[in-house]
Amino acid sequence: MNPIIHAVNLTKSYGNKKALDGLSFDIAAGEFLGFLGPNGAGKTTTIRILTGIIKTDEGHFTIDGPDLPDKRQILGVMPESRGFYPWMTPMEYLGFFADLYRIPGKEQATDILLSQVGLSAQRNSRIGTFSRGMKQRLSLARALCNKPKILFLDEPTLGLDPQGQEDIQNLFTKLHQQGITIFLSSHLLDEVAQLCSRVVIIHHGRLVAQGSLAELQVQIGSQNSTLKDIFLTLTKA
Amino acid sequence: MFRYIWIKEMKGELFTWKSTLWLIISSLLLSFTSYSFLTNKELCLLDQTEMLWLLGEIIVGTGLLIVAIDASSTVTGELENETVESLFLSPMTLCDFVLGKFLACLTLWGFIFIVSVPYMLVTSAGSRLGSAFISYVFLLGTLVVIGFILLVFTLSFLYRSSKNTLTTSLIILMALAVPAVFSSTLKNNPFGWLLSKVNPVDNAFSALDNVLVDGQTALSQNWPFLLPLLIFCLLMLAFMAYSVRCFSSEGIIRNE
Repeated sequence: MNPIIHAVNLTKSYGNKKALDGLSFDIAAGEFLGFLGPNGAGKTTTIRILTGIIKTDEGHFTIDGPDLPDKRQILGVMPESRGFYPWMTPMEYLGFFADLYRIPGKEQATDILLSQVGLSAQRNSRIGTFSRGMKQRLSLARALCNKPKILFLDEPTLGLDPQGQEDIQNLFTKLHQQGITIFLSSHLLDEVAQLCSRVVIIHHGRLVAQGSLAELQVQIGSQNSTLKDIFLTLTKA
Repeated sequence: MFRYIWIKEMKGELFTWKSTLWLIISSLLLSFTSYSFLTNKELCLLDQTEMLWLLGEIIVGTGLLIVAIDASSTVTGELENETVESLFLSPMTLCDFVLGKFLACLTLWGFIFIVSVPYMLVTSAGSRLGSAFISYVFLLGTLVVIGFILLVFTLSFLYRSSKNTLTTSLIILMALAVPAVFSSTLKNNPFGWLLSKVNPVDNAFSALDNVLVDGQTALSQNWPFLLPLLIFCLLMLAFMAYSVRCFSSEGIIRNE
């Protein structure tokens, strides 16, 4: 496996609480990885460390090799916190981020992004008037605005209606087919089982299992288990 | 990169009516003050230089108050509205972020100054102090405002809360402004004198007094007042650099 993300012994504490406790894993280039864990397991902390928002106390990681000067240029992130500027339109919002990424031809680029996430009709509406689902789509469009090699998705379909979930999941599949490595953190186990080729499960900041669904079934000794059964078995303690 | 943050801030201020409202309020305040100076039977008796000095104090004081309130939410707003994570996921540095925000707050002071120019022209009509009055209000106001924006940013990075930043900023502003309007006899004792020498607001007001009432308009004659203001700005810059370092080492997002 040629890892595009190589994380070794990631450790992070918030006061006395250990959010991550020596977490190590690899992600191959072009992989669609599901990142699972109960609430407070350290999923968001892991994403924030890998995307440079917070620093790790111990351990290290590489993204696309050690020599890349600014890793943010190849990362697209749909973070857990989805704050927006309510007074902006999606065109202005994506245009602002296109400026920050120094993307040439930003009007055309933002038009393409908006049609990709199905927000073309709302291109000139104020974000403050958007529903949660529309904001999720806009957040995804922002994550895609720099044409990332790796896409981090933190609960991307949370709060979406079934149609919205399916639209977004279809978009993820398309992006994966284009060769983008996807790191999906989600509580929707059906979604993860359907989309991801491999799963990493963490609990109390530690790795408890990783592999494909078949490998995890072997690991718990039950060939007919669903991902939900495996998850509950491994995180029961 | 900082200019995109600056432009975004200015657009936000105008769209949300925040700045526009402040400008209307300061314009109304200056209209009322100037009208009173020129028409009120008792205020009319004031010497024109005293009148200009009072108006200068009001312009600088209003600018300081408005900029302090605005700056209190400009950095912390990004943290509280959870927009900061998306910003720092882009290739933007903390330096770009601070510079863009700083210029936005300074631009607000620029607008307040522009709004006050007609009032300064009207009240200084007929005196030879018009250009000196406008120039010194701009220079002194800009120096005090720069120092104060840096102070408010320092608090913002340390507190990460707009309410705490605003409350502390206003208490500091009051603590600096109230002694500045003490009568000169109160400044005759050593403590009052020392307080007056280190207080940036007091130095700005004293410089205006020196220019308008004592007629010492040359820059060289006002160094004793300008130097403490420059030192204040440099000190605040050092404090802000420290607070930015703390902020950076704690992480942009801080889990409690």
